[in-house]
Amino acid sequence: MTISRLLRRQWRKRPGRALATVASVAVAVAAVVATWVAADASRAGYRRLAETVEGVPSIDISARGGGRFEATVLPKLADIPGVRAVVPLFFRPTLLRVGEKRVREVAVGVDAAALVEAGLLTLTSGRPCEAADEVVLDAALAEGLAKRIGDEVIMFARRSIRRMTVVGIADSQSLKWFAEGGGVVVDIQPLEEMSNAFGLVDRVRVVVAPGGSRPTVLAAVAKRLPATLAAEVPAGRAGMAEDVLHSANLGLDFVTGLTVAMAFFLVGNAMLMNVTERRRSFALLRVLGATGRQVERFVMAEAALLGAAGSVVGAAAGLAAAVPISAGISRTLQAPAASLVVHPLVIPAAIALGTLVAVAAAWWPAREAADVEPLAGLADAPPPPRGVSGRFLAMAVVMWAVSAVVMTLVVWEWLPPRAAVPAGILMMLAFVATTPIVLPTLCAACARLIPERWRIERTLAVEQIIRQPIRTALTTGVLVVAVSNAIGLGHAIRDNVDDVRGWYTRLMRADWMLTHAGMVSGGLAMAGPKIRMAEEEVRALTGVKRVEGIGVAAGRVAGGACVVVARDIPADTPLPTDPVGTTEADLRVALDRGEAAAGTVLARRSGIKPGDEVEVEVYGRTARVKIAALVVDYTSGGASLLLRRDVAARLFGLEAADIVLVTAEPGAMASLRDPLQRIAESHGMLLRSFENVQAFINGIVGGVVNSLWMILGLGFVVGSLGVANTVTMNVLEKTRTLGLLRAVGMTSGQVTRLVVLESVLLGVSGGLIGAVGGMCTALLIQLASQPLLGHPIRASLRPTVVAVNLVAAVAVTVLAAWIPARRAVHLDLLESISTE
Amino acid sequence: MSILRAEHLQKTFGGSGAGAASVAALDGVDLSIEQGEFVAITGASGSGKSTLLHLLGGISRPTAGSVFLEGVDLASLDDDALARVRRRRIGFVFQRYNLLPELSLVENVSLPLVLDGVADARSEAAARAALETVGLTPRAGHRPDELSGGEQQRGAIARALVAEPAIVLADEPTGALDSVNSRRVIELLMRLVTERRQTVILVTHDPSIAAVAGRTIRMRDGRIESDHRNGPERGVEAAAPPSAASTGAPRE
Repeated sequence: MTISRLLRRQWRKRPGRALATVASVAVAVAAVVATWVAADASRAGYRRLAETVEGVPSIDISARGGGRFEATVLPKLADIPGVRAVVPLFFRPTLLRVGEKRVREVAVGVDAAALVEAGLLTLTSGRPCEAADEVVLDAALAEGLAKRIGDEVIMFARRSIRRMTVVGIADSQSLKWFAEGGGVVVDIQPLEEMSNAFGLVDRVRVVVAPGGSRPTVLAAVAKRLPATLAAEVPAGRAGMAEDVLHSANLGLDFVTGLTVAMAFFLVGNAMLMNVTERRRSFALLRVLGATGRQVERFVMAEAALLGAAGSVVGAAAGLAAAVPISAGISRTLQAPAASLVVHPLVIPAAIALGTLVAVAAAWWPAREAADVEPLAGLADAPPPPRGVSGRFLAMAVVMWAVSAVVMTLVVWEWLPPRAAVPAGILMMLAFVATTPIVLPTLCAACARLIPERWRIERTLAVEQIIRQPIRTALTTGVLVVAVSNAIGLGHAIRDNVDDVRGWYTRLMRADWMLTHAGMVSGGLAMAGPKIRMAEEEVRALTGVKRVEGIGVAAGRVAGGACVVVARDIPADTPLPTDPVGTTEADLRVALDRGEAAAGTVLARRSGIKPGDEVEVEVYGRTARVKIAALVVDYTSGGASLLLRRDVAARLFGLEAADIVLVTAEPGAMASLRDPLQRIAESHGMLLRSFENVQAFINGIVGGVVNSLWMILGLGFVVGSLGVANTVTMNVLEKTRTLGLLRAVGMTSGQVTRLVVLESVLLGVSGGLIGAVGGMCTALLIQLASQPLLGHPIRASLRPTVVAVNLVAAVAVTVLAAWIPARRAVHLDLLESISTE
Repeated sequence: MSILRAEHLQKTFGGSGAGAASVAALDGVDLSIEQGEFVAITGASGSGKSTLLHLLGGISRPTAGSVFLEGVDLASLDDDALARVRRRRIGFVFQRYNLLPELSLVENVSLPLVLDGVADARSEAAARAALETVGLTPRAGHRPDELSGGEQQRGAIARALVAEPAIVLADEPTGALDSVNSRRVIELLMRLVTERRQTVILVTHDPSIAAVAGRTIRMRDGRIESDHRNGPERGVEAAAPPSAASTGAPRE
């Protein structure tokens, strides 16, 4: 048919135009695929990181009111979708004797063989314990006790002394998620018998399968349980990593959404230019009797074909780009590298989505083409300048209003934080849609900075930009989104990181840290064996300025799980935490009075307010405690309750410390290493320096931050390619104009300057608008994350982040303009003048 | 009965924005054209002759007044219906040929039929017949950029008559041609009138071409200044050769 032939021949005659359109779609689809796959890799990395730090996501089933319960009353749970394993746990305090050394420990009764088989327990050497006289030791404890496979340890129980053979050494990380500080693993049945508690368990841990939803599994498990049992997220496990994961996931969703928005801008602009350039052809078709609908169908069919072609190329390019990015993210997250897993639907979905977006993006240009006045289209003069229509502005206002309402509801906690993602994207689209109002003025203002000797080029460049405000807005839209994204998320990330760093610097202000061997620094476990003796010995050392003990215990407050932190709070040091809405002095006085400080997340989850008197339960003892204030705390994801140590000892018997922080006298830090190491070894403990802890936490935070930066960087690269493509199309479209300018005597230098100046103006304007958008984005992210964190994060202006992005935006546009500018210079005059 | 009638036709450009002055291109034109007439519209630049042609052809809508083609008020038609009228009942010939550069000559000529949903084979046959009429059969497979100006314009005339329209509108069809090609084009248009009883309305500023037509309408300041019949259409040979001003076409 002649129409399809016309389409094919138009592509053949002007392959640059068709290729640039295909390239736009390809870049957009590649960006979406790469971001999607990289975001998935990040999520997988976060999950692995979370598992490394906090253990595998799980749910605990325990008896209501505390105590052990018969394992037989437990209904079948393994068939619930999303459940990976059901693990009964039995804990037994014990004393290990190794030579002359006696170490308090917690023996953990589990089916070790089943755990190893399920991949939930990793043995660094040996095999799982199966017989009654076999144990598996935590690797750090075994090292502290100098025990190897085949060695013997003596285990004291209430009524017996048992000689046990070490048959396996367990990886500390994998043991931690269920042993909770315990370092000795025994088969569950012998341990129950030793404790005269056959058939009883302390709790049952339900392990959530990878990709499963803990809240969904929790709800399904709770539904099946008898009234005597309760299911909840383990207090010590709703921790920092998971909250970091949650926030980072929101960030990834936001970045992915913005990439899709950016893709839409790219494709929309390409389609618009592709159609605008052929205005005359469409006008002629209209004169010859083509109906508006026929022209519209023509444009839409072309969009579908070019969109499909671009999507196929883009999906392949996106996958190719995702491989190194995902590998980089895995490396930066310090998580074990996993092979790139691409969901089978990603590619077909990306191709379908790319084609659909191309068709959707072509809808408006198609309407424009269909509405071309035959006469106006045939005129030699270019179409008159088009302002921003009232309908367009009304659409932008509606988008602003909807997104603002949703954002407000998120901040007021009437909607979940996740709702902030689409609202933020809508707000960004509204922001870009509003830019045509300010863009001409801004461009004109920026143009004043261009030297007078380039007046002609400057005037023509500004004229080109102002002439088509909508198209200019679409061109800069890509840049605005990329810059807003980078500046907004950049600020939010840096502010969050500063907040976390500020927290742990306050919390861990010491030179050395002693912990139980089975406990990994940086993640506070539930109460394990106490280390009072060690604490006393440390205090007696010369060169020690200050010793602060921190006891940690799982508890319940206002009916919900929490972690109770009992801590020495010396009068001569700042509070180890940052109060919200009150002064440090007032909080100190209140803590001295025996009141508590609640973590902001705990307060939000449990509805606790300062001044409330709440019931707190620890170790089966209950006491009423007044909440003095809320504090910024990331311990166990902020679900913590801080008490003075002496108050916790009086109320709950929580006396001994799980962690001992040691501050050396000036200049004595190095000299304390050896005596502290000796104390650590003699009590089966680990000694770590503050730098070591800092590096550990920095590693986690830095990994998450870097992965977000990598995806942001990807967005910027895509934005650059988009701008490059748009500028190329701009030059293609202006072939006739540039040819005429050359014909009337414009030098090649002037033409180059004209093209480059136009791009620079677009870059500077887009960068400035993007910077404003970025600051607003940062503010909105802070507001939206407030309900998640329970406290506002201090937002700060970071000139470096803004400056780097602005310079990058201008650099990208100048580079993007260079090749099209050179092409414009080398145009064949006669050919370009005769170009329609 | 008149095939084309204009009543109180007005067309104003501009004036929609604040402070923008409006320009009246046509100011109350009344006109009636019979089937088989060869009408030349003449006048100085800006007199409104092309605007009148565009309104008569339905490629522009009047500010006020009506155009009746075969008794149908073009203003009463929606956009699509008007497009169908253009496609089936009106043929256009422009000064700059306006052939689509991507299509061959025969494809260009068949375009109005293709747009009307006529099967490819039939539309191509009709296009070849039209090309034969204008003497371009050997050039059917060539692209516009492979043709001379005169050939392109004859191709445009073939496209204008492929759908056998009621009227053919030509806007300065010889404006870009040399004298030989101008004569051939005018001859072709005259044959449409004499052999096919088609109605041809031609805009020109060249008095010698106007003299060939059976009727000359002279426009001035958006109004009809004079409208007189020249008697039976004369042969092209009888007319004076086109003026040198109209010989802008470079090739052939």
